[in-house]
Amino acid sequence: MTDPTDFEKRTQEVLDESAGRLDGHTRSRLTQARHAALAQLEQPARYWWRSYVPAGAAAAVTVLAVVMWSNPADRPSASPVEDMELLADSDAPDFVDDGDDLEFYEWAAGEVET
Amino acid sequence: MTAFVTLGGVYSTPVISSIFGAERSRDQELMTTSRALDQFLASVERRAFKIAQLGLRNDDDALDAVQDAMMKLVQSYSARPVEEWRPLFYRILANGIRDMQRRRTVRGRIMAWLPVRDADDDEEFDPIAQAPSQDAGPAKRLELDEAIGVLELAVAELPPRQQQAFLLRNFEGLDVNETASAMGCSEGSVKTHYFRALESLRAKLGEVF
Repeated sequence: MTDPTDFEKRTQEVLDESAGRLDGHTRSRLTQARHAALAQLEQPARYWWRSYVPAGAAAAVTVLAVVMWSNPADRPSASPVEDMELLADSDAPDFVDDGDDLEFYEWAAGEVET
Repeated sequence: MTAFVTLGGVYSTPVISSIFGAERSRDQELMTTSRALDQFLASVERRAFKIAQLGLRNDDDALDAVQDAMMKLVQSYSARPVEEWRPLFYRILANGIRDMQRRRTVRGRIMAWLPVRDADDDEEFDPIAQAPSQDAGPAKRLELDEAIGVLELAVAELPPRQQQAFLLRNFEGLDVNETASAMGCSEGSVKTHYFRALESLRAKLGEVF
């Protein structure tokens, strides 16, 4: 860049002087404008996620409860068909075939009646 | 109580703690940016106002243009590197001034049949404001007063692009590249506009300056 000429230096000096002479009202309004612009930096949704934490925690607990309740491996079967299958299973302990035990049950029943 | 204990537990989990940490770091970053922006805007606001005032010839419009440029810079470009702020700010300001000038032209065409008074008319019709001050100020100050008035009038009469190039280069001190960026044109155009502006001002002000 070439050095500024005297004319350029003079115009710059005059314009600087003019800017330095702004009245108080204008300076004040410029300061207000600056502060208003900077206030925008604080406005974006800060801490927005904090308001969702309690709701998120509640939702997580609900989901956990639903998952645990609906898991069939953790609770006994309520189906009578399954119960019958268990009784009919040949590997199940036999309570009826043993004659000694039957006599014992008849004796115990008689003792209760008397 | 249980609920508070539960929430306390939620906030103290590693994930939430890391979010808090990130937020603290973001707060510090925000404070640094805010301080830098404040310094930047304070350093340009007066010259920006003069540029807008010369382009629009109306103080209220000039203040609006400057405030609008400040808002847009903070809103959209605060995350950009600091050295980019000046050309960006002046580009926004130049666009704002141009939009206001266009709106004014359209409004002027529509309202041409009405006797509208503007600031210049007020100055012309106010003999008291035009009268020389009775206070005997220093000669230098009087000379400067006259120079400011004559120069500002001559600059205000320049074609918009020449005026922009002159004020950004000579007054704001942007280099050719920054001025081109602010004006949205090539460096060659900036040089041409600036050269013509200087020639025009020299022709008008040669005797005074």
